[in-house]
Amino acid sequence: MKINNIIRHSFNNSSEITELYRSLKIDYPKFFKMDGLSKLGLLASELILKGTENRFSPREDVAIICFNSVSSLDIDTLYQESIQNKDNYFPSPSLFVYTLPNIVNGEIAIRNKFFGESFFYICKIFDARQVIDTVRKTFHDTTITSVLAAWIEYSEEKKEVFMMWIENDNDVMELTEEQINKLYIDY
Amino acid sequence: MDELILKLKNEIIAVLNLEDVKPEDIDENAPLFGEGLGLDSIDALELIVLMEKEYGIKLNDPNQGKDVFKSITIMAEFITANRTK
Repeated sequence: MKINNIIRHSFNNSSEITELYRSLKIDYPKFFKMDGLSKLGLLASELILKGTENRFSPREDVAIICFNSVSSLDIDTLYQESIQNKDNYFPSPSLFVYTLPNIVNGEIAIRNKFFGESFFYICKIFDARQVIDTVRKTFHDTTITSVLAAWIEYSEEKKEVFMMWIENDNDVMELTEEQINKLYIDY
Repeated sequence: MDELILKLKNEIIAVLNLEDVKPEDIDENAPLFGEGLGLDSIDALELIVLMEKEYGIKLNDPNQGKDVFKSITIMAEFITANRTK
């Protein structure tokens, strides 16, 4: 397994995410309709994939694997608040559709036409061992040649993303837990 | 009617998060779906909620939406004829 690209970003608020998106001059109006988790994931994928050859050509050999500790709690809370008042009960469809964490995988897949496997794991903390094990297992499916793996944490307190583009390269030394942890901390 | 059309444009921009779109950018006679604003099925559901929340109009038949949401002008005419608030 070989890491070809890495993105690590932290933001203080949602406006910073939008500002960075705008600075990239990406024409994808759907971005503005997404919840924070999806915006963060999509933005990171744009940073990691920009300049890629044949970008947007359909690919069945790319898997998307995401992790975080808070699931989609941010948008879940917003949605809950929107239906709290029984006398003013108007559930918002556009909030509801994001009340699952793996929607971010879908948004990245739709944007980039990735048709491979897709997983979202919820764990207490960033766990490099789990990342490596999951990516390695994904490569057992020989149709998968690349994995977009990410820790995407979006909550009131924390907005951070650590995303890697990993390719299956049997000639290269295996990734280790220490390497991934170092990358996560250093970037 | 012009006042309602402008109000509708602003409400649609707000509820559908149409970033960078101004009321004057929207042709009130142009189709809302399929071209122009590029709205999708979730947007259609948001418009149904908007009709009920702001104007007290409940669209029980999903097919009715196809006619009502043809354009903002048609929406405004429907609201004027059927609003309860």
